[in-house]
Amino acid sequence: MNIHIFDGFLGILGEVGMALIPLILFFAVFQVFMLKLPFQQLKQIAFGFFLTFLGLALFLQGVHVGFMPVGELMGEALGQRSNTWILIPIGFVLGFVATFAEPAVRVMNEEVDQTTSGYISARVMLYTLSIGVGASIALSMFRILSGISLWYFIIPGYLLVFILVYFSNKTFTAIAFDSGGVATGPMTVTFIVSVAVGVASVTDGRDPLIDGFGMIALVALTPIIAVLILGLIFSSKGGKKTNDAKS
Amino acid sequence: MQQVKDTLKEVVYAILPVTIVIIILQLTLIRLPIENLIQFLVGVAFVGSGFFLFLLGVHAGLLPVGEKIGRMLPRTNKPWLIIGTGFLLGIAVTVAEPDVRVLANQIDRVSGEIGSGILILSVSLGLAIFVALAMVRTIYNVPLSYLLIGGYVLVFALSFFVPPDFISISFDAGGVTTGPMAVPFILALGIGVASVLRKDTTGSSDGFGLIGLASIGPIIAVMILGVLYQ
Repeated sequence: MNIHIFDGFLGILGEVGMALIPLILFFAVFQVFMLKLPFQQLKQIAFGFFLTFLGLALFLQGVHVGFMPVGELMGEALGQRSNTWILIPIGFVLGFVATFAEPAVRVMNEEVDQTTSGYISARVMLYTLSIGVGASIALSMFRILSGISLWYFIIPGYLLVFILVYFSNKTFTAIAFDSGGVATGPMTVTFIVSVAVGVASVTDGRDPLIDGFGMIALVALTPIIAVLILGLIFSSKGGKKTNDAKS
Repeated sequence: MQQVKDTLKEVVYAILPVTIVIIILQLTLIRLPIENLIQFLVGVAFVGSGFFLFLLGVHAGLLPVGEKIGRMLPRTNKPWLIIGTGFLLGIAVTVAEPDVRVLANQIDRVSGEIGSGILILSVSLGLAIFVALAMVRTIYNVPLSYLLIGGYVLVFALSFFVPPDFISISFDAGGVTTGPMAVPFILALGIGVASVLRKDTTGSSDGFGLIGLASIGPIIAVMILGVLYQ
């Protein structure tokens, strides 16, 4: 038995620290010149920053030692089966559940829930985004198996987005485009891409490096479509509380 | 204490589904050696505890700070300060984002010509310009869809001149730049700014859209690099 637990943890701590430092500096400048928060509040914020730092580092460590290697092995094992089409539904399910475990998605959904006073609940958002990401992973698996260029997904995808935007109100448009950026976090991207890399490495004529590309592009696209469709469903039901004009 | 309990519950709900799916796959289709399964469960423990601390921390730190700064900026009545802050924030979060560095190395490997330094610089400039534009939009009340459509029309126009290899990488760049550290901060900042500027109307909608706009900049930046280096 050779279990990896803290391999590479120092590197991850460094990376997360690097990502946090600019935000701390940013805050510090504002604190000194404008905000001037009392010490008691500062202490709490500092503690919050520390927890975020530690939490994200542990999270990424878990993805690296646990989800990534298993993802790649899973991809290889599944790609070698005779009935590789099974990867498409499995891709959907993996994308669906991985979105549950995406930190930024949680934060985004809470903010949406709060600012719309519960009109668009965090739960509805979560299921919508999960379906969106699930669809994108299913499409990505199909793309790797069939070798169809990403271009044939991106162009119709964004065309559909802009047709939907035309019919959507501005709240849903804004939330939809944000969702695209939020859905592409460390769980979805790192874990699912490693599954795809595993599949591509055992599929003839596929280059894991090249085929891994474009996956994030799809993960960024389909949640936009999903949220816009959610918006249309909401407004066709009469949208009890929204008083937004069409944008 | 209630918040700690709720967060704990939320994390369990977040991590359990993916764990169960993988264990079911393991038992039915994949059958990896037991060693790999244990390795995976170690990962689950890390991910779960990390998720828990992250959520608690974000609520005590990044979210209130982002919102406080966002609320304070419009009160200064200096549009350039809001726009400039957006720009600097854009640079700061991108340069520091680990995923951007991973992407830069991959592009370096594929293209062989574009060094990761120049790539990181252009991606962060691209993102910063679009965050600044997003601030301009919020201040002067420009409809979000104008900027989005304008941005994506530019993306698709550029794509005719970009080598095919670059197209997927460019779109990927749009996704990776907004990581879990940047998202809460940018979201809260946008909501803070909008809540002050849009007191009259439904302020809710104008706080969003910042991250969506921010994703366009890096796509355009990488495409322009692709055109220049082909």
